[in-house]
Amino acid sequence: MWWKIASVVLLVYTIVAGFLVPLKSGIERVEPNAADANQLVSIRLFGYNTFFARPASEPIRVWLYYDDERALRAKKVQVVNDTIMEAVFDLPATLPDNKPFVLLNALVDHPTAGASLLPAAFTLRRVDTLQGPLDRAWTADPVAQLHLQEGFSFPYQNILYETIRNTYFHVPMWFVLLFLFAASVWYSLQYLRRSRLAFDRKAAAYAEVGILFGILGLTSGMVWANYTWGKPWSNDIKQIMTAVALLVYIAYFILRGSFSDPEKGARLAAVYNIFAFASLIPLLYILPRMFDSLHPGAKGNPAFGSQDLDNTMRLVFYPAILGWTLLGFWIADLRARYQRLHDKAMGLE
Amino acid sequence: MDRKILTFLLWVGISLPAAFAEGNRDFMRETGKIYVVVATLLVILLGIVGYLVRLERKLTKLEHQTKKDDA
Repeated sequence: MWWKIASVVLLVYTIVAGFLVPLKSGIERVEPNAADANQLVSIRLFGYNTFFARPASEPIRVWLYYDDERALRAKKVQVVNDTIMEAVFDLPATLPDNKPFVLLNALVDHPTAGASLLPAAFTLRRVDTLQGPLDRAWTADPVAQLHLQEGFSFPYQNILYETIRNTYFHVPMWFVLLFLFAASVWYSLQYLRRSRLAFDRKAAAYAEVGILFGILGLTSGMVWANYTWGKPWSNDIKQIMTAVALLVYIAYFILRGSFSDPEKGARLAAVYNIFAFASLIPLLYILPRMFDSLHPGAKGNPAFGSQDLDNTMRLVFYPAILGWTLLGFWIADLRARYQRLHDKAMGLE
Repeated sequence: MDRKILTFLLWVGISLPAAFAEGNRDFMRETGKIYVVVATLLVILLGIVGYLVRLERKLTKLEHQTKKDDA
């Protein structure tokens, strides 16, 4: 009983914290986002969740920077309101490494509200082919002593914006699926050892609820993808492999139901379940890492980098996994108990 | 799960918000796309509730059956 209460408490915590903790401040865009070198240019920065107008004892600093050593600091900064700011840059004639153009990151450092950043915000183009030593303006004011934003907040990422919160709703579906399928294969092994139909019933119930969470993971992912990747289905490797994994488990039910003798069906299904679970590892963990994917963690990386999941998110993400998993086990338990009554009533046991 | 329930879930998540969007003013993409999170959570919760409703229906059927057997 206690774990059912824990499931509800954890899920309430997940939903409340997942929705109420604010995002870190960021920069949505800059206007204009490109200019020729060797001129004075005024740039408008549009912030997200920023507090540019908050009173500050020190000056607000704005940079367009290339890397740690080469950065251009704004000559003049003017705050329009909390989310809009104007900065005047004196763009030098020479570019780092004598490149024809460079992509610069925009960075605003507010003494009390903290720093916000937009990667690859601005394109600076060289006007002539003059190859001179790098202008002193690049190194005079390097990015240093940034102010951190105080308080609890989730990372800000362009395109994602608030949907980073889906980490607590969409992503745990995969963990629940894995745990339920693991429980299912464990009961299948028990059945093969002791030949009691109760174990087969449990294996089937856990596999069925596992499929439910797989479908929920796919559909919730399609909703998320529609607004971040542009369309619900992009033939992403993880999407396809998940669909294949679900088909493998649907085949488990077809196999299990296709024998008139329940003992025989249960035995074959239990053996198949072991193969099905073994196939999950290449399908969900190896193959997706060998191909490019829109999901984070493709191409040999661990599933989440520090960019995708910071320490504040972990405080919600881990309880979310536990909460959803306990809910999944709760539902699977109900499903198994129903099947027991059903089999008894039908005189199968 | 039922194909109907699945279609319904996708409709809740994608088609319904699209119907609310007027021209370029897509409310799902406003205010930092927060409604995408609402839609995602709604899809998951409705999916779970849908499964529970289906389970309850089976249970009701079983109850009727056992009542008949007892009578």
